[in-house]
Amino acid sequence: MAASRTLTRETILAVAIVATATVATVLLRDTLAPTNLAMIYLGGVVAVAMRCSRRISVISSFLSVAAFDFFCVPPYLTFAVSDYQYVLTFAGMLIVALVISTQTVRLREHAAHAAAAQARTEALYRLSSRLAGETRVFEAARAATALAEEVFGARAVMFLPEDGRLSFRRRTSDVLPVPPSEESIAQWVFDNGHKAGLRTGTFPDATALYLPLRGARETFGVLAVLPDVALNVEGRIFAPEQQHLLEVFAGQTALAIERTMSQRAAEETRFHMQTEQMRSSLLSAVSHDLRTPLASITGAASTLRSQGGRLPPETRDELLESISDEADRLSRLVGNLLDMTRLESGGVELRRDFYPLEEIVGTALQRMESQLEGRTVITELAENLPMVFVDDVLLGQVLWNLLENIVKYTPSGTPIELAAFEKDGAVILEVRDRGPGVPAGEEERIFEKFYRGQSGNVSDNVRGAGLGLPICRAIIEAHRGTIQALPRDGGGSIFLIRLPLESRK
Amino acid sequence: MKPLILLIEDDAQIRRFLRAALDSEGYRLQEALTAEEGLVQATSRLPDLILLDLGLPDRDGLEVIRSVRQWGQIPILVLSARGQEKDKIAALDLGADDYVAKPFAVGELLARIRAALRRSSARADGPGSVVRFGAVEVDLEKRVVRVDAQEVHLTPNEYKLLQVLIQHAGKVLTQRQLLNEVWGPHHTEQAQYLRVYIAQLRRKLEGNPARPKYLQTEPGVGYRLVTEESAQ
Repeated sequence: MAASRTLTRETILAVAIVATATVATVLLRDTLAPTNLAMIYLGGVVAVAMRCSRRISVISSFLSVAAFDFFCVPPYLTFAVSDYQYVLTFAGMLIVALVISTQTVRLREHAAHAAAAQARTEALYRLSSRLAGETRVFEAARAATALAEEVFGARAVMFLPEDGRLSFRRRTSDVLPVPPSEESIAQWVFDNGHKAGLRTGTFPDATALYLPLRGARETFGVLAVLPDVALNVEGRIFAPEQQHLLEVFAGQTALAIERTMSQRAAEETRFHMQTEQMRSSLLSAVSHDLRTPLASITGAASTLRSQGGRLPPETRDELLESISDEADRLSRLVGNLLDMTRLESGGVELRRDFYPLEEIVGTALQRMESQLEGRTVITELAENLPMVFVDDVLLGQVLWNLLENIVKYTPSGTPIELAAFEKDGAVILEVRDRGPGVPAGEEERIFEKFYRGQSGNVSDNVRGAGLGLPICRAIIEAHRGTIQALPRDGGGSIFLIRLPLESRK
Repeated sequence: MKPLILLIEDDAQIRRFLRAALDSEGYRLQEALTAEEGLVQATSRLPDLILLDLGLPDRDGLEVIRSVRQWGQIPILVLSARGQEKDKIAALDLGADDYVAKPFAVGELLARIRAALRRSSARADGPGSVVRFGAVEVDLEKRVVRVDAQEVHLTPNEYKLLQVLIQHAGKVLTQRQLLNEVWGPHHTEQAQYLRVYIAQLRRKLEGNPARPKYLQTEPGVGYRLVTEESAQ
């Protein structure tokens, strides 16, 4: 339809130009020589060639020669020629007209081609630069769709698959610009990797043209393009070079998506490898920590069994004590491992309620009583401290772990302070010691799993599995609080817990 | 005659060391490997105390507590796994007297057994009219509380709470049990009341409320009044 309308328009234009030239020559034929009148017709041919297709230009060349003969060569208003040298004029005029029209049209086509190539390059450049930074598939598709609408002056939408099937639900536009019934056409395009729809051999009655987003290995989705009635550029996307550009565009989008996906896959692989590595190093640390006390228990028990009668009583007592101590250590380790696993797998449900902090502090001190013997413990809890919204058992465990660490890592007899006060909408709880302090630069690392301090004065058998502080952090973070280790003026360290005051809901 | 203890526990190793420990303390021991067998032994032998493992092969240990409490007040001491606060509370609410978390030291278990036996024999007479712990002296007849011989004023609810704790001195009382006894059955979910009152009692009776000697918290479970007598 569009093509025939263009043809009609060009024909009318060509006829009008030839007619104008004829009127001019008729008016001037008494003053100018007929050869000069031919020049006017040649000007008309140039004008036609600049506007119209090659076919119309050629026809208008013949038409001009005929009109020249009919109106300008005596006898007028007949094709008869009085002087036969005019035949030469006609031939020359026709050749010149044909050459002019052909060349002009060719020149114009060249320019148009160059402009189209330029536009195409620009469009693809913009596509690749817009998709380069995109790490999410859906966002890449959305950006490509927006660009397609801009470049092609048409409405566009991309459909992406859900569980292996194309779905109109997963699309890049908010409204669905095509009828839902055409989902099957899109599915066909997705399955077969060929374009279909409007003005193609397959489903030509569809409202849109469907193009596959075909990458190197698979098809990632379907691009639907449909003429925008409002923009009235119906014909534009169906011109052959635009069709080609659309296909290249779809291909580029697919490649961008493919790259995005393979980047993601590479990242996942890397993450997976790191996790595996971490897991195996954790496993070796845990198995070492489990085996050591087990070895002591087994050794001591088997010694007592096989040589018990011959051992002096003191040695027997020592062996018994080591069995009991190592069993305690094993029990703590297993307890910590279970806690950590439960906290990490999200299996711990906080049973939060409002508690006076002094009750939780008191309980922790009570549990530690035997180990705190010989130490001064100072509690400085601010008067009128608001109740804290916590899981009492878990917060008690945090304090217990911190106190146990202090007992383990600081010289016996050094004092311990517990202080609590309200500050900036939070309750601050500080546990302070006068031990060697946390080595500079290790304040964060001590909260990592299985990390052991480098302090040399701690022998291997007082060390835990390096889980106490990570458990503290996991518990405090589950309460939306923070815990950190700070150096203390005058020596020692401060473990600072910040619990934001929250309302019940 | 020496007290008879019924041990309901399916694990052979644990039975083995408990047998040795209880034997050397002079207790008589009856063993049961399942809940079913335990219930039969409890009714036929009428032990002085039941040591009950909650993880039994045939039935939930909690059911043993429930059936025993339907007909008698034999002290029940529960052996529970560590960290199972829910089970401990359920056992205590059903009428168990105390619990010991596994793994436990034998010394601690023996102390708990002694305390439970003493409470059950003292139950008949009830607490004396004057109870003392540390610097605190409570005259239950005159309803007067003194600390260092100075009279301390308690509100009626504070006094009632202290009274309940004294009645069960040495025994863990769950939050629900305390709320029920002091405030009545309709307030058993309002644990915050209880915490505030305990905190106030501590301020009035304890030297350092952040390091209570007598009004002790059993985290996640409830409270226990430890008097010198009950702590022996």
